[in-house]
Amino acid sequence: MTLEMDEKPKIILLVEDNKADIRLVQEALKNSSITYQMETVRDGVAAMAYLHQEGEYADVLRPDLIVLDLNLPKKDGREVLAEIKNNPQLKRIPVIVLTTSKNEDDIYQSYELNANCFITKSRNLNQLFMIVRRIEEFWLTTVTLPPQ
Amino acid sequence: MKSTSVKFANVTSLNELERQAIHTSSLVQPHGVILVLQEPELKIVQVTNNSYSVFGIRPEEMIERTLEELLDPFQFEIIQRGVKQDNLDFINPTKMWARKQGDDYVIFDGVFHRNTEGTLILELEPAASQENIPFLSFYHLARASINQLQETASLKDFCQIIVQEVRKVTGFDRVMLYKFDEDDHGAVIAEEKLDHLEPYLNLHFPASDIPKPARKLFSSNWIRLIPDAYAEPVELFPLKNPQSDRPVDLTLSILRSPYPCHLEYLHNMGVGASLTISLIENGKLWGLIACHHLTPKYVPYELRKACEFLGRVIFSEISNREESEDYDYRMKLTQMRSQLINNMTQSENFVDGLVKDESSLLDLTAAVGAAVCFNGNWTLVGETPTEEELNFLVQWLYKNIEEEVFCTDSLAEIYPEADAYKNVASGLIAMAISRRNYVLWFRPEVIQTVNWGGDPNNAYEIINSEVGQRLSPRKSFELWKEEVRLTSLPWKQVEINGVKELRRAIVNIVLRQADELALLAQDLERSNSELKRFAYVASHDLQEPLNHVSNYVQLLEMRYGDRLDEDAKDFIGFAVDGVSLMQTLIDDVLVYSKVDTQGSEFTMTEAGVALEQALTNLQKRIRENNAQIIISDPLPTLKADNTQLMQLFQNLIVNAIKFRSAATPEIEIGVKRQEDEWLFSVRDNGIGIDPQFSERIFVIFQRLHTRDEYPGTGMGLAICKKIIECHRGKIWVESELGKGSTFYFTIPVGGRERDLRNGRKAKNYSFGGGQQS
Repeated sequence: MTLEMDEKPKIILLVEDNKADIRLVQEALKNSSITYQMETVRDGVAAMAYLHQEGEYADVLRPDLIVLDLNLPKKDGREVLAEIKNNPQLKRIPVIVLTTSKNEDDIYQSYELNANCFITKSRNLNQLFMIVRRIEEFWLTTVTLPPQ
Repeated sequence: MKSTSVKFANVTSLNELERQAIHTSSLVQPHGVILVLQEPELKIVQVTNNSYSVFGIRPEEMIERTLEELLDPFQFEIIQRGVKQDNLDFINPTKMWARKQGDDYVIFDGVFHRNTEGTLILELEPAASQENIPFLSFYHLARASINQLQETASLKDFCQIIVQEVRKVTGFDRVMLYKFDEDDHGAVIAEEKLDHLEPYLNLHFPASDIPKPARKLFSSNWIRLIPDAYAEPVELFPLKNPQSDRPVDLTLSILRSPYPCHLEYLHNMGVGASLTISLIENGKLWGLIACHHLTPKYVPYELRKACEFLGRVIFSEISNREESEDYDYRMKLTQMRSQLINNMTQSENFVDGLVKDESSLLDLTAAVGAAVCFNGNWTLVGETPTEEELNFLVQWLYKNIEEEVFCTDSLAEIYPEADAYKNVASGLIAMAISRRNYVLWFRPEVIQTVNWGGDPNNAYEIINSEVGQRLSPRKSFELWKEEVRLTSLPWKQVEINGVKELRRAIVNIVLRQADELALLAQDLERSNSELKRFAYVASHDLQEPLNHVSNYVQLLEMRYGDRLDEDAKDFIGFAVDGVSLMQTLIDDVLVYSKVDTQGSEFTMTEAGVALEQALTNLQKRIRENNAQIIISDPLPTLKADNTQLMQLFQNLIVNAIKFRSAATPEIEIGVKRQEDEWLFSVRDNGIGIDPQFSERIFVIFQRLHTRDEYPGTGMGLAICKKIIECHRGKIWVESELGKGSTFYFTIPVGGRERDLRNGRKAKNYSFGGGQQS
């Protein structure tokens, strides 16, 4: 347990194009006790710009955790994943693939690209909420993340 | 083509007969004189030892002289110039006045030739008349004959005219037209004779009657006269050519003495004199005009030449006749072939086109049966051996026959197993299209009687005499009948040529169809990858909005449940159920579309392990229903897709539990080894299925119950069927309402690859044709 309250809140970058999905994640975390800051970007190009702190994202801080959808406009989630994991500055940031897909190729490919885990969104609301909260709990409180 | 079953009693001796070097015999018929000359001075180096009786000069005196001393000087000059020419025909024949004693001259027909060693040989025969036969009379003779020939309709009549005319011109007692068969035996096809002579017409004579060296002689020496079969031959003096120290080669000599065995043959036949004219077609000895006379008979050189001329002219006409007699038939065959080729190009596969018009296929070779073997499948037309017999026959052909088109009129003689079906296939034409793919035509056995001139099995006998053993020809030429069995009517060359043409066409069509197939395969691959893409879209893009509907309706209920009345909650329930069914349907369609022959590797799979996995996946349901699972046979290891096999067991067991009756579910899984496949069974004691629905249940989305009674998408059995089809097996159900159901499925023992090799069902779109698998 390395819960240190005095630290600045952890930043989660949610890369998700669909508003409904973004909102569901937010709803799931509404009553969370953990302090965090959630940033969202709606496509793969924006995600990379955010991570490289370019353009409108020049002043943002690097996230502590990335939640990545696979099917994204402009730049595909798989490409985003590959670029993150091939970049010496970014590769240590944990990436969670959260997607509707159950496709075996997607699962295999994601791990091949060094995703830290692959989670299929549940159709059942309660399960979905539980998944999102567990992600938060596990990655923000249980594990020790690499220092920025 | 004609083969006969005649075997000769003493093969060794006959081989010797074949080897006899007739041409090295130095014996010469005594009615003429041979002078072997040394060029350029034309000195006599050898002479036949009858010179004294002809010239009154003894041989040893003759060889002291030159030709000049024998002839008058004017004539000698002409000859000296003549022999310097390459073509000796310009001076042949020459009337020669040879000086006997003093001013006594003898008139000869002189013929020069050079033998194979280049030695100049002059042959002198006493001239019958002092005059040459005038050219015009020669012409009239030939023209009369030829006119008559041209008016003759059939080949048979034509041959008859030939012997008639030759007999008229030469006055021989018997004139025959003798035709050689493929195997060198021959038959008399036309005969003209004195009435009281025994007929030889239609009699066959064994090949040994005219042995190979003799046939070779006839090929090079187109006319051969034996004026007196009883005359004592004379020898050359000296025996050996003083220049070469070898007997001189007399192959091309017209005076050379016949081989003693042939003379004896003539004696036994009662022949006193013979004249033989060779008929040559494309350099090959086609036949002979054989003239026999009971007593010695001399035929002057000119007349012989006239006969030879007649023979050549007539013969070119025979060839034409044979061709034109074939012509109509050939045209008919060509027409039929074009029709077949047309049918083949218009059909999806050539086999269908080939057998579309059965009678054309048979008529193409005048066969009674035909069989097409393609990719291990037989298409039979007319009367044929059984498929099993044909399989063996094709194996034998594949191993033993190299020709692309092979034919025999006695299959049983080379392939004894064919004896069993001689009544349909004594004659065979086999056309190889490619490895083990054949088109075969059959003809039945026709028992034929061959009439031989004397017993061909005893054509010769060995005579022991003081000088040792010698071969002696048979004494009797009486009709000797032989029954030839296991033989069909012979295939005609035009029929064989037709098959060769057809083969070329088929090979082209097959090649073209292979190209089309390759294109088709490309199209398939393309549509397959599009299908995969679609499957992905279905799994992700279609699921996503559904998830949203589902999740937000649930969120609505979760947050505002306490403010909603019962109706509102029902409505939410219907919305959630609808979405969830939609999601299940999409999932099942996805599973269905993933069951695919491509991409999945068939490996050796333990069916038991696949079943265990299925049972593990279903353990909750099994427990809930208290279902008994009985595995009654040890499950085999077979070539299959492990995941698909697991899915198959899972779907069948799920169904068995889902459609349970009031009784405790009992599910028995069994397997039996059939000849070349495994037969699995999954038996239950459930509600059973009305047999009228036993096909319908395997169709995608088809259900027999409402979802309220039994939930489900109607995909489970459709998926099972597709899995089994991918394994080239079959699936079916045997059931009655209320009495439980047994689902059966088969999987080929060697997996689908083996099935692909053996059956065309698997590749229906290629050459397989109409029937649905």
